[in-house]
Amino acid sequence: MSAPTLRIADLGLGFRTWAGPVEVLHGISLHINKGERVALVGESGSGKSVTARIVLGLLQELRSARISGTVEFEGRDLDRLSARERHALRGTRMSMIFQDPTSSLNPVYRIAPQFHEVLKRADPAISEAAARDRAAALLSAVAIPEPERALDSYSFQLSGGMNQRVMIAMALANEPALLIADEPGTALDVTVQAQTLALMRDMVEEHHTSVLFISHNLGVVREFADRVYVIYKGRIVEHATAEGLFADPRHPYTRALLSAVPRITGGGIPEIEDVSEDYYQPLVVHEGCGEPEGVA
Amino acid sequence: MKRAAYILVRNPLSLTGVILITLVVFGALFADFIAPFPEHRGAVVDFANFNKPPEWPYLFGTDLVGRDLFSRILYAYRISLLLGAVVLAIAVPVGVTIGLVAGYIGGWTEYVLMRITDVFLSIPPLVLAMSMMGLLEPTLTNGMLAVTAMWWPWYTRLVYNLTRSEKEEGYVLAAEVIGASRTHIIFREILPNCVPSIVTKMTLDLGFVILIASSLSFLGLGVQPPTPDLGSMVADGAKYLPDSWWLTVFPGLAILVAVFGFNLLGDALRDILGVDQ
Repeated sequence: MSAPTLRIADLGLGFRTWAGPVEVLHGISLHINKGERVALVGESGSGKSVTARIVLGLLQELRSARISGTVEFEGRDLDRLSARERHALRGTRMSMIFQDPTSSLNPVYRIAPQFHEVLKRADPAISEAAARDRAAALLSAVAIPEPERALDSYSFQLSGGMNQRVMIAMALANEPALLIADEPGTALDVTVQAQTLALMRDMVEEHHTSVLFISHNLGVVREFADRVYVIYKGRIVEHATAEGLFADPRHPYTRALLSAVPRITGGGIPEIEDVSEDYYQPLVVHEGCGEPEGVA
Repeated sequence: MKRAAYILVRNPLSLTGVILITLVVFGALFADFIAPFPEHRGAVVDFANFNKPPEWPYLFGTDLVGRDLFSRILYAYRISLLLGAVVLAIAVPVGVTIGLVAGYIGGWTEYVLMRITDVFLSIPPLVLAMSMMGLLEPTLTNGMLAVTAMWWPWYTRLVYNLTRSEKEEGYVLAAEVIGASRTHIIFREILPNCVPSIVTKMTLDLGFVILIASSLSFLGLGVQPPTPDLGSMVADGAKYLPDSWWLTVFPGLAILVAVFGFNLLGDALRDILGVDQ
């Protein structure tokens, strides 16, 4: 079997602050195989987004960050790469989609030049006209009607759903091996969110892109992900297939998380304990979901 | 453009600003054609007509050596506008670049740059300019230099604060993620979003630069005679108040018109560009 697209082993992260060191990640391990969609689920501050930033190589440049463990991307250890080589991966081999699509686009430029910048990452010599043609094709692939008009619009002239499609098209423009989606569409209303998720699923299936899906929305995770890691306070607490996790949540924190979702059938806002000793119970790994043995 | 025109027409103050500044700039540019006595800009004496109150053809009266005040004011505007333009042309790029770099890069760079800026901001502007002019020769060039030295920190502060907030915007993170360089992010992503605020401040500042430059020459530290300058004209005339009132009042009003006009224009631009203050 070839190396997984992304393999994180025993990743630890701490920050040096004025008040002393703060540990954020306590040795987490996860992997994503080629073409697989993996969700990382947890509450705010559990370490989801910093994990994404480490994968992208953004935190490594921060001097106050202390990172231990290994992150391998397509079999290459990110630690052994220079800042330059990590930089070369961003925007070409890996890309990212954010919560709020509208603010992710610069309001002073039309869509077309921003697309041009993205395409230049993979092909620095691409001409404006060629970039425009390619962008139009990509936009129609994400079901944007009148892509030409969208290319000549500013982000604030498009709806949130349209912007999200533009972001998806941009993120996939350079055919990345890994797409990190940080709570995509949280800023959108639910119907639009459902549409864009379906679209994103189709797109990544078509391109065989691996996805690291970061979310706190369990409903979305269930529909979108193949496998799920549940993270609590910088520790992975449960690792299961999506069906496995929802059918048989085994860790106390996962159960609390699942019961915290308000039911559409009513019954009031569920009450769960904020903090419980049980949440710190050791990792539960479902059958057939182990980490690959160290192929360094 | 339509929106801009609408805002201008709807707000009489904005319209006044535009009209005043148009008149001032027009008068300065075409002084050679408008001024009844273009030669009076220099060292000319006409003792037959000295110290005359406003009467035809001397619209604003004449000064103590018989030069037409109206003509001199038009040429003085030329100097003032030139000075304002040059000061801003130097101070703005310097201040903006420092602000962008300090705001985006942060850490020690930010600390050092912003403390230097604070030092400049903590010296009263007129005192700084006066001491510089006292050390150097009082010429137009040195005047510009002195005013520039006190002006750039304001732009650093403005842009620094804007950058700090723009930095948190999603598009900056998105640019970082696709691997844009720092230079690209600073000048191509953040700077364009700061332009409306910068332009608005520049317009407001043109008025203030003229005011400061006039203050300097009022104190005898600015442009030297015989070059006409609004500040020194006021200073020269002040000795003859209240009898020869026109010597002071008209140059004073000229300063007021320019500063007031640029302020109103700045406010109008702020509305048009949608800058929150």
